[in-house]
Amino acid sequence: MAEKRITIRATRYDPEKDSAPRLQSYDIPFSDESMVVLDALNYIKSHVDGSLSYRWSCRMGICGSCGMTVNGTPKLTCAAFLRDYWPRSITVSPLNNFPIVRDLVVDMEDFMNKLKSIKPWIIRKQEVPLGAGEHRQTMDQIDDFRQFSQCINCMLCYAACPVYGLDDKFLGPAAIALARRYNLDSRDEGIKDRLPVIASSEGLWECSFVGECSVVCPKGVDPAKAIQQTKLDTTMRFVLPFGNRE
Amino acid sequence: MSAGARASTATKTYRPAMGAGWWTRKRHYFLYMVREFTALPLALWLLWLLYEIYRAGRGPSAFYPPSSTAFVVFSVICLLFALYHSYTFLSLAGVILHFKVLDKPVPSRLIVLSQFGLWLVASVVIGAVLIGFGR
Repeated sequence: MAEKRITIRATRYDPEKDSAPRLQSYDIPFSDESMVVLDALNYIKSHVDGSLSYRWSCRMGICGSCGMTVNGTPKLTCAAFLRDYWPRSITVSPLNNFPIVRDLVVDMEDFMNKLKSIKPWIIRKQEVPLGAGEHRQTMDQIDDFRQFSQCINCMLCYAACPVYGLDDKFLGPAAIALARRYNLDSRDEGIKDRLPVIASSEGLWECSFVGECSVVCPKGVDPAKAIQQTKLDTTMRFVLPFGNRE
Repeated sequence: MSAGARASTATKTYRPAMGAGWWTRKRHYFLYMVREFTALPLALWLLWLLYEIYRAGRGPSAFYPPSSTAFVVFSVICLLFALYHSYTFLSLAGVILHFKVLDKPVPSRLIVLSQFGLWLVASVVIGAVLIGFGR
């Protein structure tokens, strides 16, 4: 029986030599039904072309490193099965909307700066010494923000967001969802520190609710929901009497 | 890659530019654009309504109801856009609205269903009032 094969077309870009990215085709064995796009890239790197560059780490949808554009859709390549595409070829390109550093590797600096700007950690007005014990939370209090805490910073939502693609000053889906995660946390008291960033002109009001961020999110975070709910909450804080009190 | 893409020599990165046809790339993007576009025919129809109110205000002699085929076709198209606009708006309301009853969060599905229910009731009431006054 003839060996099953699949064609992978990967973006190649060498900043020292190329003026623009190009596609390179690789015909590789599709030996195992459990193979994912990341396995195909690893096969190419190990057996065909060692110069292919891409990011990856955990292979199990936890680290968020292997996000790429697979046949036009942002995906974690460790969760994109070849069997869902075969016998068609698969085009793998870097995440949309980010500068390309080399081949399938994008520059994450803008995203990391935005993530940091919303202060994604517990902020307390008065720090309590460790010896005073833990901050207790009920299950209902955890349920308030649990969904938004599942983000793995894979940046697929930024790659799917046309608003960010058209204006990269936009704070973006994951950063706003993470800000909401901390603002909803009963232990946190930092909403007034985050509001100047999330409610700025380049913050959540830039979002026009395309919703594709939530479609591509591999962890079910639903950033579009986080953004729209934050719009409502910030409006209520502004409109309601005593809405801005702590 | 778009022709508008630019290469950065300082950081040695390549930033692909987003083409004007980005919204044709995916069905979801296209439906989003249709959703946003529905506001335009609705605005046109409402402008026409304001004009009709102005004419009606000048007395019965200056007013005659429009009944041309072109006007009926225009109104039907506006109605379809209005229905799609309402459908998307009410469906998304379930995503946006979040509140608790008896310390339990109300499910999005229930919020959406209640919105559609209120829409139906409002439509029936307004229809009944208009038909009642028309007689």
